[in-house]
Amino acid sequence: MSSTSLLPKTISPFLTTPPSLPSTHFFININKPCFFNPQGQVDHSPCSRKLTKYSTPHAKKWNEWLDPFNDGDDPDLEYGSLFADGKQDEDPRPPDDPDNPYGFLKFPPGYAVEIASLGSKVRGDVRRCCCLLSGGVYENLLFFPAIQLIKDRYPGVQIDVVATARGKQTYEMNKNVRWADVYDIDQDFPDPGEYNDMLGVIRNRYYDMVLSTKLAGFGHAAFLFMSTARDRVSYVYPNVNAAGAGLLLSETFKAESMNLADGGYHMYHQMLDWLGRPFRSVPRQPVPPLKVSISRRLKEFVEEKYKAAGAVKGKYIVLHGIESDSQASMQSGSDTDSLLPIEVWGQIAEAMRGFKPVFVIPHEKERENVEEAVWLLLDDPSIVFITTPGQLAALINDSAGVIATNTAAIQLANAREKPSIALFGSEEKSQVFIPNAEEKKCTIVSSKTGRLKDIDVGEVIKAMQTFDLSLVLA
Amino acid sequence: MAEATLGFTITNPHIRNSIHPPKHDLNPFSKSLRQCSTSGFFTGSHQLQESKKKRASLCKVNALPDWPLMAVLVENFNGIDFITTKTVTHLSDRAIKNVYVFYIFYTCWGCLFFGSMKDPYYDSEYYRGDGGDGTGHWIYDKQADIEESARRELWREELIEEIEQKVGSLPELEEAGRK
Repeated sequence: MSSTSLLPKTISPFLTTPPSLPSTHFFININKPCFFNPQGQVDHSPCSRKLTKYSTPHAKKWNEWLDPFNDGDDPDLEYGSLFADGKQDEDPRPPDDPDNPYGFLKFPPGYAVEIASLGSKVRGDVRRCCCLLSGGVYENLLFFPAIQLIKDRYPGVQIDVVATARGKQTYEMNKNVRWADVYDIDQDFPDPGEYNDMLGVIRNRYYDMVLSTKLAGFGHAAFLFMSTARDRVSYVYPNVNAAGAGLLLSETFKAESMNLADGGYHMYHQMLDWLGRPFRSVPRQPVPPLKVSISRRLKEFVEEKYKAAGAVKGKYIVLHGIESDSQASMQSGSDTDSLLPIEVWGQIAEAMRGFKPVFVIPHEKERENVEEAVWLLLDDPSIVFITTPGQLAALINDSAGVIATNTAAIQLANAREKPSIALFGSEEKSQVFIPNAEEKKCTIVSSKTGRLKDIDVGEVIKAMQTFDLSLVLA
Repeated sequence: MAEATLGFTITNPHIRNSIHPPKHDLNPFSKSLRQCSTSGFFTGSHQLQESKKKRASLCKVNALPDWPLMAVLVENFNGIDFITTKTVTHLSDRAIKNVYVFYIFYTCWGCLFFGSMKDPYYDSEYYRGDGGDGTGHWIYDKQADIEESARRELWREELIEEIEQKVGSLPELEEAGRK
């Protein structure tokens, strides 16, 4: 390379004069490849196609470090039948071979399992996808549309989830998920044994795509890199902590703030945009609404539970968001002021007509407090102890409506299309967490002072007329 | 060696008496033996002994070379010498230690092995039940598998619901079409 640094000086006189010496041919030839261009000037070699890539609107700057030989798509390339347009096939599995002497191997002779078809690589098929999710129940619940979108965009994909212990419980309500493993990616200093174990688990499953909603720095990016997945997609820190993460990831989203949950209902919109991006002949995939499914067994279990508490199906209203230090309060990660003291709930319950209020307590120790607070107002309060989001969803599903603060209960009510009253600390928060409230039969009552405690109970009682209306309509 | 021979031969004189020829009746047995061992060896059956010696040297195998030799009994019976080697075994300290070690090990292993052969615990449902077949290859009834199958069940339920909705709406449409 030392000779190339001398090139401009040595060549410039030769270029002006007609090439007479045979040695000049050699120098001129090696000047053509762009990586020999010592001054970094804009050249007119075939490498300039890279520049057209940058100029496309809404496209991020291509990270040259990831693949220095990637010149972008070839516009002249004609895709044959192997690179079929459209979405991937549902199930590429070859037919079962009953004559196989090994029994468990279901591949016909001559079929090399190890070699995936080149077409799937070129199309970017995703057969196995892993989602690593940070946060608790609320954040995991809001990721459900993304999982549905992946399922719709890549037919036949198997989606696995790695979530925290609390967040994992949410996947009781998701039919699209195959495995749900517990691993806390939010830990700054994970136990080396657990770290290696989870890394091994993820590697063993040979994922095509790994999504992560943790804000990745170099460390988390390295974890994703070691998963050996083809597409490593993650959010990155919006600040200097993201340094180096982009090298190990194939797609990054710069978070708008340090807490992803600040985005509210649309907290994953960057990732959803990317997941549903149009590709060749596949149009943009629309983002599906939040939907949860509740199994029959869960419904039966919860029915017994609320019957024991003295509630009748369809004749009660769920109250969720009692102040407690329990971990099972299902708040959002960004909205910490989202629990009301039991006295306020007592006032709301007292004004309820025609329906029985059902208090959902996150811990058994709260039962006494609730009984103490409401024994004057209600002769027989219904108290149900529920910690898992699945049971809460089943309870909400059988109810006439929900009154809740900003907890997962309000999102579940919207997902099951139940009339609901959402109590928020401020107007802005309510718009962030429930963007289109009218469509979802959700009435929003927000505090004027910015603190949830100062909420006007009269307004809540006024809003309760929606339940009566829905009863009349039903 | 002579004393040792004497001492041993006295212990069981009856057999010798019955075996021995009557001409030695009067003499004490030990004496005759000694005579035999001294005189008979080299006089009476010299020829025979010579050939025997050759053969003995040919096929002599010392099975236990380290065992201390205590006595050699030589009898002449009808001109044939019977040589009986008497020994008393004293084990060395090392050998005694080895024996005890073996004994301890065997006892420990035996207690565990034979003790567990007929153990109601290992035959119980608690031990065998959860996928364990006692062979070391355990098939765990994993929580993850239960959850995964529950989710698959959920998916099927939803699918059936969807189909029911579609099928339910189909006859209504057909009826509406007929009318």
